[in-house]
Amino acid sequence: MNEQSNNPWKKFQEKWVSRRNLIRGAAGTALGAGLVRPMLGHARDEEDDRGHGVFFGPHPIPGGNRGLSPGPGLQPYGVFVHHNPLNPATALANISDPSQITDFDGFVGLTNIHGGGTGTDTNNGMATRLSFRADMGFSQGNFVATDGQVHKGTFAFV
Amino acid sequence: MIAVDHDAVEVDFDSGRARLRLRGLEVFDDHDIANSLTLGIGIPEPPFSQPGVPPVRAKISVDVEWNGALSMAAIDNQDQHFKGTFLSTDATIVWSSEQDGFHFESDNPADPKANLVSVLGREKNGVFFSG
Repeated sequence: MNEQSNNPWKKFQEKWVSRRNLIRGAAGTALGAGLVRPMLGHARDEEDDRGHGVFFGPHPIPGGNRGLSPGPGLQPYGVFVHHNPLNPATALANISDPSQITDFDGFVGLTNIHGGGTGTDTNNGMATRLSFRADMGFSQGNFVATDGQVHKGTFAFV
Repeated sequence: MIAVDHDAVEVDFDSGRARLRLRGLEVFDDHDIANSLTLGIGIPEPPFSQPGVPPVRAKISVDVEWNGALSMAAIDNQDQHFKGTFLSTDATIVWSSEQDGFHFESDNPADPKANLVSVLGREKNGVFFSG
């Protein structure tokens, strides 16, 4: 992850590897649930009791990776991407904005954790020891949504 | 980023503790990084060419805990337009994934030494930055 490169795609890939690889096999190969991506969701205003079912999402932080993908890109799919995965080598005072969304006032949590677990083939019961690295977090507070209004919401980043 | 119930997150910032709990969250398992970025199309061109793999539906449950402050920093970042108080914390994660033909269960209890770096913050950014 600390390898220097002038290739923007490679830099892009490097950033993503740390935040999206949830399970890796012991040999480093992605296995099973190798990466997860939440199915699209929109903000639910926690103070909205009108029951209209109209939800407004937040704006992602500017300067992120959204839309840099080759091919079709991420933009049409509305995938929110944060561009600041935590780096253990960076001093706390020098971190980039850990929030996933902009125009935000609230609490944020972000992690960069590795660990182990057991993957099981449920067809035959065969268990395999696996390792993972997770980059997960949350945002909870007030934000200016796509409707231009301030809403209150809670978001998970997986 | 996905909207979740307010109760999914508990924060006690003054004690440097927080918890994120998700149960049965529906996700797509994208298998690998290239597949994730291209949503199953893969990368046709070298040097990073990889075949596409159709994403698989899965359900995950997650329990992340930020377990107390190790250090604290007040940040006022004029370039990125964010400011606030941030804590470096211990953290653990216990999670599982369920999909057709496969189940994963992380170690429980989680190893607290597995935390590489975790941060808890109370911040303002964007239009709230100058407020």
